[in-house]
Amino acid sequence: MSRAAAPLQWLTMGLLTVGLLGLSPALSLSLLAFGLAVLTALKLREARSLEERRVVALLQLVGAGLLAALRPELGPSLLQGLAILMALAGLLALELGAGPDWKALMRRSLQVLVAALPIALVLFLLLPRLMPFSSLGSGHGMGAMTGLSDSMDPGSIARLAVSREAAARVAFPLGGGPPPLEQRYWRVLVHERFDGRSWRSTAPPFPRPAAGQPPAPAPTPAAPGEGIQLWLVEPSGLSAVPWSGAGRPLSPDLTPQRSGELLNRAPGSQRRVYALTRTADPGDWRTEPPGPIDLVLPRGENPRLEALAAGWGRLGSDRERLNAAGSWFRSQPFRYTLEPGALPRQAPLDHFLFETRLGFCGHYASAFTTLMRAAGVPARVVSGYRGGQWVQPVGGTGYVDLRQADAHAWSEVWLQGEGWQRVDPTAWADGDPLATAETSGETATGTAPWDWLQRQWWGLDIAWARWWLGYDSEQQQALVQRLLGDQRHLLGLVVLLAVAISLAASLGGLGWLGRRRSGDTLRLELEHTLRAFARHGMAPDAGETLPVFAQRLTQRWPALGDPLNAYVGNYQRQRFASTPSRAGRRETRRLGRALRRSLRTGNLPKEAVQRGVPLNRRP
Amino acid sequence: MISAIGEVLLGKEHQVRLALACLLARGHLLIEDLPGMGKTTLAEALARSFGLGFKRVSFTSDLLPADLTGLNVFDPGAASFHFQPGPLFSQVLLADEINRASPRTQSALLEAMAAGRVSVDGVSHPLPQPFLVIATQNGLDQGGTSALPESQLDRFLMRLSLGYPPRQAERALLQGEGLRPDGLSGAFGPQDLLELQARCERQHCSAALLDYVLDLLDRSRSQPAQGHPLSPRAGLALVAAARAWSLLEGREHVIPDDVQAVLAAVCEHRMDGGQRGESDGKLSQRLQAGVDGLR
Repeated sequence: MSRAAAPLQWLTMGLLTVGLLGLSPALSLSLLAFGLAVLTALKLREARSLEERRVVALLQLVGAGLLAALRPELGPSLLQGLAILMALAGLLALELGAGPDWKALMRRSLQVLVAALPIALVLFLLLPRLMPFSSLGSGHGMGAMTGLSDSMDPGSIARLAVSREAAARVAFPLGGGPPPLEQRYWRVLVHERFDGRSWRSTAPPFPRPAAGQPPAPAPTPAAPGEGIQLWLVEPSGLSAVPWSGAGRPLSPDLTPQRSGELLNRAPGSQRRVYALTRTADPGDWRTEPPGPIDLVLPRGENPRLEALAAGWGRLGSDRERLNAAGSWFRSQPFRYTLEPGALPRQAPLDHFLFETRLGFCGHYASAFTTLMRAAGVPARVVSGYRGGQWVQPVGGTGYVDLRQADAHAWSEVWLQGEGWQRVDPTAWADGDPLATAETSGETATGTAPWDWLQRQWWGLDIAWARWWLGYDSEQQQALVQRLLGDQRHLLGLVVLLAVAISLAASLGGLGWLGRRRSGDTLRLELEHTLRAFARHGMAPDAGETLPVFAQRLTQRWPALGDPLNAYVGNYQRQRFASTPSRAGRRETRRLGRALRRSLRTGNLPKEAVQRGVPLNRRP
Repeated sequence: MISAIGEVLLGKEHQVRLALACLLARGHLLIEDLPGMGKTTLAEALARSFGLGFKRVSFTSDLLPADLTGLNVFDPGAASFHFQPGPLFSQVLLADEINRASPRTQSALLEAMAAGRVSVDGVSHPLPQPFLVIATQNGLDQGGTSALPESQLDRFLMRLSLGYPPRQAERALLQGEGLRPDGLSGAFGPQDLLELQARCERQHCSAALLDYVLDLLDRSRSQPAQGHPLSPRAGLALVAAARAWSLLEGREHVIPDDVQAVLAAVCEHRMDGGQRGESDGKLSQRLQAGVDGLR
């Protein structure tokens, strides 16, 4: 057992602990991982004998595997890889004896890992995926963050600080370039409950489709941005996650709601990765008719507003009322600002609409939705993210980088025959940040190096998520289909065969590395020659030196005496004399070839060629 | 010269060679065998062939350290003490039947062997160069012996046992064809020996060879069931003896064959803890078989 074994195992323990820290404790599987880690640490604490330490190393490998199933993102994956590397090195330190030092152990461990890659690849490609693990993420942890919250009360906010904190990233593996700016609205929460001041979100559960009912045909995506989406969302504590409003989530714990929210059944403190496919859910929130709650308006709170809306209410259709409101908004000198000052408790929206005309998205969405409801049009406030910056990492897939500063609120109105329509009243105000933003985002010159680095890392993160999340069970089926055609029942056999082949390749590779390690070209050449003799049944005895072995060979094949002597003499001079030279090594190789040739060409006396019985041992 | 000594010691060429290698490697020699096998003859022949001063002490149970080292004697003429050197002050000392002396005397001898000087009453007296101790011991199963501890066994570079001569050689011996050691002519002098010893140290040991020695040492340490593990001093002794052997072979570099030739003589007594039993040489054979000798 090497001295490095204990430090290596403790180091592995530390890495596993760091990996566990990011895990949300609310999940049963993470409890299992915690328990396993504690158990392993205790076992390591008391382990003295080789057997016990071996058990610890195996437990650590199991723990790292469990962690990998729970946290498949890029950062944790790298950490798990490192932990596995260390655990293997620890195991090797136990098994290889006192000889190898840290460097040799790490190198050997890396070799073992690399040798295991073919098997990993086969299993990844062909074995059923453990998708639910990765998406079962998390319980409730953090409070609402600065960007979005369940309740929205813009009147009480005098000053809105801009937080550059990361909120989410979204990539479009099929989309190519950035979606147009006017399409970059990602909904998170729908606020339908209005009490005169604040908007609260209600999320009635979406009715599950009856069993056996065929799913509705998939509608074509409305915009390029609404194809496949790949999301990486920072922990938010919200019950919903952002999406574009179209597509079907691949994770079973994400369900689209009647209101158009994508409900996260396990909101929590863990980062989430999820993907949405093109296929639509049977129920589409866009055509879900409004309920009575979408018209609720406490009367008498904002008299001027109600008076204004009453005028529009007399118009014939909802579309006309909407247009009238839009042209009214555009005709007023509204200005966008993040420091509007607090609104009075009495008639706050009247004050905003007719006095200050200063506000941010929450004010506009709130006032506009209230106006619509007062005019008799079902309307609601939707909050989410807008805009974001398109980032093209070096050599990677582009993605939209959403910060908390990109949080936004807008309105949705129900138009008979058209369904829910997005209306963004903020866009009508002067100084709307989206209107002034450039279409393709700032160039790299304006970003700090740290930001740039972080964006590159996120690009890698996205690419990684795309890689493992993108290869879902459907693609797996497609691959199997392509490989086997109609012979699907052979899949088990194929998997076994592939595993066996890759295992053989790995072991062969390891063996080759091990042999390579033990000698230079000279020694390799010698072993080549020895194999030639071994085929004739002559192998060196344990611990035998080359001259002694050569003597035995000469006894059996006297004709080989001269080439043998020349070869052995040359080899030993190269090996042990004070003046080895490149030319000498070449000469040795040449002599070795000559020796093998004379052995092959049967330049041997007949009576001596008797397989496996050296001359000196014959009776 | 080997053949010259060989004429004295009939049929024992390998042992003579080993003893000579031991002398060249500046090591001390322990010869263990039954009485009457030619131990003394070998020692005397070695000394005479290099023209070295030779003294012989028969160890008995009442031998005292001062009997070996010498002592300060009062000189009435000069009214002072002067040092009267003991038999230790010779170039070749034959310590006959060393295991019959008391441990105290044994360790006095062995200290002198290790340090190359003798301290009497606080004054150091350097021993002559070259200095070689050839100790003989009878088998431990014989009466009146006290075994050398492992730590002192380690001081001897080699342990040899002569064994019975082959029949042909014994016939020649009985016919009186062997030479007496005093018949050996001194073709070499002590200066030649010193020069050979210096040349011996310059024999080239390549990295591959040192790897071989290190593998042997590692092997002896990783398999505790196979005798005592070898000490670093054993490794030094092995390399020194192999160098001497390669010089005797007329080569300028050391090869694994040299190491193997001296392995049993150098390592066996360090591995079996002095308990030479029936299986003499088995431990070093097993050690040798456990390490790749091809290199």
